[in-house]
Parts: sequence; C-alpha cells; structure tokens
Amino acid sequence: MKKNNEFLMPSVLFLGPTLLLVTLFILIPIVIAFRTSLHSTTYANIDAFIGFDHYKSILGSADGWMNIFNSITYVLFSLMIVVPLGILVGILLNRKIMARTLFRTILIIPWVLSQTVTALLWKWVLNSSFGPIALWWQQLTGSTIDFFNSEIAARATVIFANAWNTYPIIVIITLAALQIIPEELYEAAKVDGASRRRTFWHITLPLLIPAISTIVIMQSIEYFNMVTLIYVLTAGGPFDATTTLSVRAFRTGFDFWHIGLGSAFSFIIFMVNIVFSGFYIKALKGKNV
Amino acid sequence: MRKNRSLDRSCAVEASTYTILIIAVVFTSFPILWGLATSLKPLDQINVFPPTIFPKPALFDSYIKVLFRSNFRVYLFNSIFMTAFTVLASTVLASHAGYALARFKIPHRKNIMFVLLMMGMVPIVALLIPLYLLSVQTGLYNTRLVILLIYVSWRTPIMTWILYGFFTQAPIEIEEAARIDGCTPVATFYKIMLPISQPGLVSSALLSAVFVWNDFLIAFTFTTKEELRMVSVGLYNYITQYGIIWGELMAAAIVSIIPVIVLFIFTQRKFVSGLAAGAVKG
Repeated sequence: MKKNNEFLMPSVLFLGPTLLLVTLFILIPIVIAFRTSLHSTTYANIDAFIGFDHYKSILGSADGWMNIFNSITYVLFSLMIVVPLGILVGILLNRKIMARTLFRTILIIPWVLSQTVTALLWKWVLNSSFGPIALWWQQLTGSTIDFFNSEIAARATVIFANAWNTYPIIVIITLAALQIIPEELYEAAKVDGASRRRTFWHITLPLLIPAISTIVIMQSIEYFNMVTLIYVLTAGGPFDATTTLSVRAFRTGFDFWHIGLGSAFSFIIFMVNIVFSGFYIKALKGKNV
Repeated sequence: MRKNRSLDRSCAVEASTYTILIIAVVFTSFPILWGLATSLKPLDQINVFPPTIFPKPALFDSYIKVLFRSNFRVYLFNSIFMTAFTVLASTVLASHAGYALARFKIPHRKNIMFVLLMMGMVPIVALLIPLYLLSVQTGLYNTRLVILLIYVSWRTPIMTWILYGFFTQAPIEIEEAARIDGCTPVATFYKIMLPISQPGLVSSALLSAVFVWNDFLIAFTFTTKEELRMVSVGLYNYITQYGIIWGELMAAAIVSIIPVIVLFIFTQRKFVSGLAAGAVKG
C-alpha cells in the first residue's frame, strides 16, 4: 500500500500538465468541432441545429467526391514516387562510396525545408514566363507550357513538389533499417553463391519491408492531412483540381468562413486519421516496438 | 575470365551508383540553387525570358531590402522566440510525462499512453476551427500566448512518445542502484535519468524546433497582427501581393532556410536518431 502511494504524487505532477494541455487543446476542440459541424453558422456565429446536413451535403455532392478523389490520388501518386525513390537512394547511400556524408547531407536537406518554402521554390522554378523548366520545354517541343493552368499539370506539380520535400524521410528510414541487417546474412549469401540481385530480393528487401510499411502508413496520413504545400503552390486550383479534403476544410473555414461546413470536413479528416492511426499502431505492434 | 566479368560488373554497378546519386543531387538542389541565383540577380535579370542562369553581377540588393527595409526582421524574431519557447516548454513537459510512463507504477498506464499517441496523431487542420472559436471567445486570439499553448500541445504528445522510448531503453540498473541508495523516484529522474538522457532530449527537441519553425497553418490562423507575424506567413504574404517581387521573395526564403540547414548539418546524427526513434512529421 505504501509503495503505491510513493508514486501517486509524482505521477500526478509529472503527467498532469501534459494531460491537461492535451485535454484542453486537442480533446475538447475535437468535441467542439463535432458539435459545430451539426449547426448552421454565419461567420463565427453558431445558429440552428441542423443534424447531419453538412455531412450529407459533402457526401451527396460531386464537389465532395471530387475532393475525396483528389486526396486519394494525391496520397497514392506521392507514395508511388517517394517510396521507390527513397529506397533506391537509401540503398545506394548505404554502399561504400566516396563522399558519402556529403551525398547524404545534400539529399536529406529538402526534408528540413518547410512546405511553404518548398511551394515557393517550385512555384518559381516552374514559372511559365520566366522559369528554366518552361524554357527547356519550349526548346524541346516548340510549344509553351503553364504548370498551373491545366488540371493535369497542376495535379502533377503538387505531387512532384511533395515528393521532392518528403522523399528524404524514406531515405532516412531505409538507411536506419539497413544498419540493423546483420552482416553475416550477406556473407552467408555470398558463400552460397547468391547473385547481387538475388541477395537484394531475398535478403535486403524482405528485411526492409517492416520498417518501410510503418513509414508508408505514417506518410499516407501526412499527405492526406497536407494543406500548406498545396495552398501556397496552387491554392487548390485550377477549378479545384488540387483541392484535397484537407485543403477544402481549411479554405471552407478560413477563406470562405463557413465554420459549420468546415467543421464537418475537419471531423471527417479526424475520423480518417483515427482509422489510419489504427493501422499504424497495428504495424508498430507487429514490430514489437 | 570469370573474374574479369565480375570485375566489369562491379565497375558498372559502381558507375551507376554514382550516376543515380548525382542525378538525385541535381534534382534535390536545383530549386534551392535557382532560388539562390534569383535572390542575387539585379531586378532586370529576373523577369526576363529566356532566363539567365548566373547573376551578372551578383548583388545583395534583395537581401538588404528584405533584412533592412521590410518587417522581415520582426518575423524572424517572432519565429525564433516561438520556436525556442515551444521547444523548451514541451521538452520539460514531455520528459516528465515520458519518464512517469516509463518508470512509475501508474494505474491505466497503457490506456494513458494510447490516448497520448492518438492525440499526437490528431491533425492540426482538424483542430483549427474549434481552436479559433475558443481563442476568440476567451479573448486570446492574436496573442503570443495562444500560439505558444497550441504549439506546445501539438508537440508534447509526440515528444512524450519519443522520450518514453529513450527512457525505456536506458539501463534500469543505474536507477535501481540509486533507489537502493535511498533516492526517491523523483530524485532518480532529476539526478540520474535527465543527465544521461541528454542525447534523446536534444534530438527530440531539434525535431520539434524544425516543425515549429516550418509551421504555417497555426501561425496563419491565429495572428493577423503585423508585430506577431512569423516567417512562413511573411513569405506567403509576398505571393498574395499584386505583382510578386521574386528577387526579394527568394532572398527572404533563403534567409529563412539558412537556420534550419545549418542546424541540420551540425546535428545530423542526433536529428536522424530522433527521427528513427519514431518521430512523425505532422
């Protein structure tokens, strides 16, 4: 009995502030978001209770489904670039090469840059009037190009900029996972006369997959929630082609001031995150972390 | 003969390794170098087609304008202040919470950890509207306090998780020895655990510093006052002006990324270990 009491006060003091903060600034706001999403609103004023009308208007409209479609394509295409590229660069950086630290440092740098800066840099590089890419395109094809004018080009642009900004995280995780693979496995494979290719497919890749799968789930959530990069680069345009659910949530709330509808979007995003977090925790448990 | 073939092949592998890495370096550094070149160009070399690659001559006019003839210095100060304070406060909170979860006997410990992890995964974009309503109602809107509180609440759960990981991996024997010598659990934390956990504390702090420095959504939503504005919002404002002045914008962007790049280069190892310890970007 006495032993238990010894921990009581310290536990309250050590954990209390954090739990209080989390309750006030995360838990309660989520409840408020849900409550707000059930009301009609004018600017910051909450009016009549309208039940699930906002949700019905999102899920019953072509716009809403377009946002969902945009979110899914944004996440999937980003992953399709980032994952193979990150694994490839990670594996190459793990080899005994000259100037390894220099290579690694330069290749990881985009990850420490903000989404705002990433968007601004690419907005300028891809500028249709004064940018180098537009010039090369013109020299190669003879036609002009505007990366922010057509729906396909704008979609590709945001995905590409996102890949640039976030592929280093896959590099980092790949490098960390490769350090853990025991050298003996490779030696054994060598003794058995396994080719480079076979060693890669049968030893390296299977041992990488657990680490990679966790980060892939993490990145899916991250891409799904992303607002800043798209907002600064295309503001969701042209014709809402790059408006994902998250961008729509943000713009509905703070560009158009439909707090109720924006809250419904926020709550949908929250629910999607809960589902993905479930997968994440399952993947973590699989690794016994 | 066979030996020669395998030698040829390893040469080919070597060559393609460098080729791919150099392509990756070009892809990675090109937008940054292009921005850097633009920031050093005189005005009449920026808005021209076809664009020139190198500034002739390189001038620091754009930097002088950004640093001395605009409010960018105020934004820099605000970002540094907010980042430093958030990192300090959330490191203090998260190290205590993480240690309590790692070593104290607490009822419902597993549930508390689960809740903290879940809260750490709630995206900021889902919280902006309710936090905005709350901050307006409490009169905290447009104050440093509300931004700091939101930053700290955003970072602390994740940092608690990372530090919990570091604490559980630390050798328990030292602590047990301290306990036998009569140290209370609290004294063990301050006298033994905190000093030996410095690497973990630093790497989780660095990670959070980058997130706060790079944040746009919170800074954008909770401040409209010029004197509270932070760097990312300051940068964004350049593109909403009529007629973007690209030279100044790129100079401002370069100024804003120098601190994180320098920090990253000097603390790479700590950084990467913090990330590998289960850090998330969000």
